[in-house]
Amino acid sequence: MQATRHTPESEDHGIDLAPMLDFTINLLIFFIITTSFIKEAGITVFKPFAVTAENADSGNLLIAVRENGEIWMDRNPVEIRELRALIERLHIERPDDSVVIIADRASRAGVVAKVMDEVRAGGIKDVAIAADTGASG
Amino acid sequence: MSMRRRSKQTHESSHGIDLAPMLDFVINLLIFFIITAVFVKEFGLNVNRPTSFEQTNPEDSEGIQIQVLATGEIWIDGRQVDVRAVRANVERMSAIDPDTGVLLLADEQAPTGTVVEVVDQVHLGGIYNITFTTSN
Repeated sequence: MQATRHTPESEDHGIDLAPMLDFTINLLIFFIITTSFIKEAGITVFKPFAVTAENADSGNLLIAVRENGEIWMDRNPVEIRELRALIERLHIERPDDSVVIIADRASRAGVVAKVMDEVRAGGIKDVAIAADTGASG
Repeated sequence: MSMRRRSKQTHESSHGIDLAPMLDFVINLLIFFIITAVFVKEFGLNVNRPTSFEQTNPEDSEGIQIQVLATGEIWIDGRQVDVRAVRANVERMSAIDPDTGVLLLADEQAPTGTVVEVVDQVHLGGIYNITFTTSN
């Protein structure tokens, strides 16, 4: 009798969860704030090498150009003709987007130039070409 | 009876609401955000791109003109140069006119790697005003 009365009571009390909850909510807020929903290209390409490449902090829309001229965006291959419409839609959703074009070393400059033009025509003026710096190899 | 009620009341006030389910929920949210967080850092080069309105004839524009051919050859002022010599050429020309810009005229078939290397070398030469055009 004593034992059965004691057990539920101690279970009822347990430890005070409020400080843990405070701490967890703080962590949660931190992760919500730092989450920048980057749209990754979805493929890996051999980036060209450049010492003077600057950190494209706000670059959150990555477009990859493969050596065979394929364009990848948001884990899907896209045609150059669809690119403008896609960019326009994303630009309306988040107007402060910026684009980083990750072009393969062996890709053609004409394709990169066309992608740049389409992105700018879609409304995003901040376009950079990705490069590896010395630091990252 | 009254004893029991009183004991129940003190029991409730000391406990408040049960925070455990809320904690479970918050921790689930937290795990979601930790998993979806991507820490992608891209390093990029910024180049100007002429719009169709300001499409100029390359012959008219003053400044340094660098051509990259389909084969990856680099030509400055009618001379073929090595990619390592681009920097010296740009430095010499920017010493004459510090405000000068560079017009990078790449063939459509030119490899992007070479174009980016040239942009990098021009940056190292001290000029950040690069206009990137392509021709076929």
